[in-house]
Amino acid sequence: MAATTATQPTTEPVAGTSLWQDAWRRLQRNKLAVTGMVLVAIIVTASLAGPPIIERTTGYTYDYIPSEPELLKALPPFTGPDGSFSWEHPMGTDTSGRDLLARVLLGGRISLMVGLISTFVSLMIGLAYGATAGYLGGRVDEAMMRIVDVLYSIPYMMVVIVLLSLFGRNTPLGQLVLLFIALGAVSWLTMARIVRGQVISLKNQEFILAARATGVSTIGILARHLVPNTLGPVIVYATLTIPSVMLLEAFLSFLGLGVQAPYASWGSLAADGVQSIAIFPWQLLFPGTTMAITLFSMNFIGDGIRDALDPQMRKS
Amino acid sequence: MLRFIVRRLLSTVPIVLVVVSITWGLIRMAPGNFYTGERRLPPAVERNIREKYGLDRPWYVQYGRMLGNTVRGDFGNSLTYEGQPVNSILANAVPVSALLGALAYVLALIVGITAGTIAALKQNSRYDYASMAAALIGISLPNFVLGPALVAWLALTWYLLPPALWNGFSVNLILPAVTLSAVYMAYIARLTRAGMLEVLRSNYIRTARAKGLSERAVVMRHALRGGLLPVLSFSGPALAMLLAGTIVVERIFAVPGLGNYFINANLNRDEPLIIGIVAFVSIAVILMNLLVDIAYAVVDPRVRY
Amino acid sequence: MRSIRTSALLGGPKRTRPTCLGLLLLALGVSGCTTAASEGDYFGKVEPPAGQVLRYVTGGEPESLDPQVGTGQPEARIYVALYEGLTDYDPETGDVAPGLAERWEAADGNTLFTFHLREASWSDGRPITAHDFVYSLRRGLSPEFAADNAYMAFGILYAPGYNGSGSFARRPDGSFVMDPENPSIRFVVPGDEEERKRAVTPVIEAALKSTQPVPVRAEDVGIEAVNDRTVRIRTTLPIPYLPGLMAHQFFRVIPRQAIERHGDFWTQPRNIVVSGAFNLEAWKPYDRIVLVRNPKYWDAQRTRLERITFYAIQDATTMLNLYKAGEVDAIYNHTVPSSWYDYISPLKDYLNKPESAVEYYQFNVTHPPMDDVRVRKAFNHAVDKAALARLKKSSKVLTGFVPEGIFPGYPYPQGDPFDVKRARALLAEAGFRDGQGNYDPSKFPPGVEVLYNTAESNRVTAEFMQAQWRQNLGITIQLRNMEFRTFLGVRNRREYKGIARAGWVGDYMDPVTFLDLFSTPDGNNGTGWFTPEYAKMLSDANRIQDPAQRYEKLARAERYLLDAQPFIPLLTAGTNWLKKPYVQGMYANPFTIHPWKYVYIEHDRSRWN
Repeated sequence: MAATTATQPTTEPVAGTSLWQDAWRRLQRNKLAVTGMVLVAIIVTASLAGPPIIERTTGYTYDYIPSEPELLKALPPFTGPDGSFSWEHPMGTDTSGRDLLARVLLGGRISLMVGLISTFVSLMIGLAYGATAGYLGGRVDEAMMRIVDVLYSIPYMMVVIVLLSLFGRNTPLGQLVLLFIALGAVSWLTMARIVRGQVISLKNQEFILAARATGVSTIGILARHLVPNTLGPVIVYATLTIPSVMLLEAFLSFLGLGVQAPYASWGSLAADGVQSIAIFPWQLLFPGTTMAITLFSMNFIGDGIRDALDPQMRKS
Repeated sequence: MLRFIVRRLLSTVPIVLVVVSITWGLIRMAPGNFYTGERRLPPAVERNIREKYGLDRPWYVQYGRMLGNTVRGDFGNSLTYEGQPVNSILANAVPVSALLGALAYVLALIVGITAGTIAALKQNSRYDYASMAAALIGISLPNFVLGPALVAWLALTWYLLPPALWNGFSVNLILPAVTLSAVYMAYIARLTRAGMLEVLRSNYIRTARAKGLSERAVVMRHALRGGLLPVLSFSGPALAMLLAGTIVVERIFAVPGLGNYFINANLNRDEPLIIGIVAFVSIAVILMNLLVDIAYAVVDPRVRY
Repeated sequence: MRSIRTSALLGGPKRTRPTCLGLLLLALGVSGCTTAASEGDYFGKVEPPAGQVLRYVTGGEPESLDPQVGTGQPEARIYVALYEGLTDYDPETGDVAPGLAERWEAADGNTLFTFHLREASWSDGRPITAHDFVYSLRRGLSPEFAADNAYMAFGILYAPGYNGSGSFARRPDGSFVMDPENPSIRFVVPGDEEERKRAVTPVIEAALKSTQPVPVRAEDVGIEAVNDRTVRIRTTLPIPYLPGLMAHQFFRVIPRQAIERHGDFWTQPRNIVVSGAFNLEAWKPYDRIVLVRNPKYWDAQRTRLERITFYAIQDATTMLNLYKAGEVDAIYNHTVPSSWYDYISPLKDYLNKPESAVEYYQFNVTHPPMDDVRVRKAFNHAVDKAALARLKKSSKVLTGFVPEGIFPGYPYPQGDPFDVKRARALLAEAGFRDGQGNYDPSKFPPGVEVLYNTAESNRVTAEFMQAQWRQNLGITIQLRNMEFRTFLGVRNRREYKGIARAGWVGDYMDPVTFLDLFSTPDGNNGTGWFTPEYAKMLSDANRIQDPAQRYEKLARAERYLLDAQPFIPLLTAGTNWLKKPYVQGMYANPFTIHPWKYVYIEHDRSRWN
């Protein structure tokens, strides 16, 4: 019996959807995360585009010290040297007369850059380490994880402080590089654990067996099959690592061990500002609040991504 | 359980020695004369010091001596704080930092758990949103902004509290403890809320409610135990964060605790003091982690070591 | 093993009103407004503590509570509370005032001083006698004790000889070789190699033939107890200012009974015995030192304070915050940062009077290029000191070496003016020129640095100087900073390359306290510059009885010093400190040293200044 299958009228092609697109859609619906993304976008744009614009319009850079002695003082926001209202310094000046807005924006550049690069460093190390440990399993895995356990019990902050105090004081650039390494080395441990957990749960699935059967090398399996599939939790963790690394850098710069003059980061600006908190409070408040808002927004984004990628964890 | 504890305690020694070795290595590798920094001592004094510390011996002999001293607990005299033995500095500084840290964490627990529990019970209410918003601010506001802001407000404008210094158990404790505890309060509130929400949905709570127990009994006697597990497991990594936080808070409020001494020791290349503090803190961190693990086992009967 | 459930760590609600952002901005706005508001006439809270209690920040942790050991200002202020001297400081002018000596006479052209002691006792009840003073000076000068401040006593007969382990030269007939420059006193062969080479000229060498060295003993030093209540001091050369000098902590009387009993630990609170207005109650290192009123003090009825707490704080922010919050009642000098000056100077509790202190940049003249006086003069001409004074705000320009405004009647010589053209011409003369003879900065050798001890104020000055030389001479000087005690050693041993920051506070009220710095090649003269002519000019001046003529001679010596340019004079500071209005009896004197018995807390608001 020949049955005729009725063909449905096709009005639109049926588009497939991937995990990522689903997640993106969920993220967009999360108002908080969107607010966070907008704020971060604003701050990042301001940090990148702001300093050149300010320089072109007013001539102020982050290290411009005016030559007239009456200007060599701390001005409150929107105030001129004689006390009247002025648009010159929306955030006021620091004790040497440098425009605070320019410094906060430069600080943003440096803080964000440090956060991103250090997170990237820790991401790379953690991915490689965790994936290898998880995939190889057995004795190697045990040994590698034992090392992680030992490293976990080291009071990292102290070793980092010792490292930064003793080395790299020679050039500000050297200090910066050292900072990247030190900060990156701090956060890779948890990343390694997460990746390892994911890899362990993935490695016995069929697509991996298939890959092995067709002769893909270990590295190939790791790189092309395992790692891409661990990206979910990795991205979540990375997005949340950036603000915590930025916070760590701010701590270190506040103590004078991180970013050195002439560069400035939000942490070092805060350190400068704390000195005059009794009479010039804006010098601390502006860099501090800018940093808080940035971290705040990044945490929103991180929460949002986590919820978007991992719907089971959603609490409604 | 006992074997677990013993094994952990035994592993303390090698771990501490590893940490101390790394630190010692860093200090010795640092450019310049590690011992006196940029100082140059009169030749007679320098000769005496070199003899006393065996600096003319090969490095592995010095390393061995340092390890031996560490194991014995004799770290020598501080170079920054003339004539004061490292152990006496530790004896003075540890109670200060311990008091500050403990007070901060207890405060964080009390406020955080309360806020988180109420938020979980009143889920999606205005209180819930407000407290979780406050929590997010707490996590994002660095303590070196919060601390001085509190000082500028409460100490320097309204003259309510002292802006710095340490007077033992006195009002001087309030601002540093609050500053230090803010971020933990926030984390604990969020964790408690999440944990409680999960527990409150579970069957045994439904049973308890069905039995007619008051909400208060349900929460206090049944829900909290399970709901607080995330808080407990957070306490481990929280300690590491507490360390970083204490260093900055002690700096801001001029508190004579371990953090301040540690920073000064680093700035002055005070090797005995650096090693002493690092050794002590490593031991403390390991022991505290052990305590947290034991507490976890006590609270959660599903966990077996 | 417990698992860290990262998911549990990240729990949180989905929706939150953006009220949180609003709260943040509100907080920012409010806090920005409140602190800008003026506090009235004073800086911070003005509420006197209950009773007669003073809380004072004196600076860093004292080196020691032994007045013959500590050399810094922080401890000096504590010493004057614990120990009394033959004379004391006038609280307002810093001039000489009676102490344990109720009167004194000078004789033999200001070389013999007799002090008559009043009745007084130690805090343990034993009477203070002239023998105690003799003991104190001998102990301070003893070579084993190796006091850093021993040089202060070197004007006293045979004091440098004793301290330097020198010896007399005795002839076989029992007589001694006398000093050819001062025939009434014996010649002392210095114990130190360098000094001996300088002092033993061929003439003296001849005179020393067939003599036996006799070590200078403590008993030879020119101090003696004529009786229990009379101290007699003989000096090598005329020292008109000796009575004022005796107020310095080095000469204050220390308790033999405690030192002999407890050795190095005699300054511990349970062991110490004091002669001053206050006794030591508690000493918490790097925290505070607590003094209480000493009822056995000879002038105890004048002492009004019951207790003084000295806080050992060096960080300017901390102490200013404490001051503003009313946690301390006064802070020491030079603590208000120059960036705060405009805000603080109009307030009534700010004290900025002329200080007996100078700030200068000294040269290491033992190494090129600074061994050439033309280079030194060029560097001096190339600095706009008026601009520096405007930058530092609470200071005044110093062109000479003796600070102006402190010594009435002294004809201050003027140093070199700001003249960039002259500077460049001098450098060209010194050899840094191109083919046509014009100044060429690229010929100037690199490696010259400015060394300073770590402090915000010093950094600001150093960066200014660096900018000046770069701008005016085209030379970039490196900056280097280190912690104070390290710095002091490096500077005094002339291990710095080119320039080091220096400051000097007068020890007594006479221009010689500044000019004397360069009268020896060692000690605190870290320049390496020294000429016997200059030292002679000073000692000649001291011989003159008439004060006006003496000042003239001293001014000529200062002129000679300025012409040699072993340093760049920069600034004299103002006292620059803060004191609550209810603290009375404490004045901005040129030394910022306060005889504490005059200080008290005034609770009656109408009597505040």
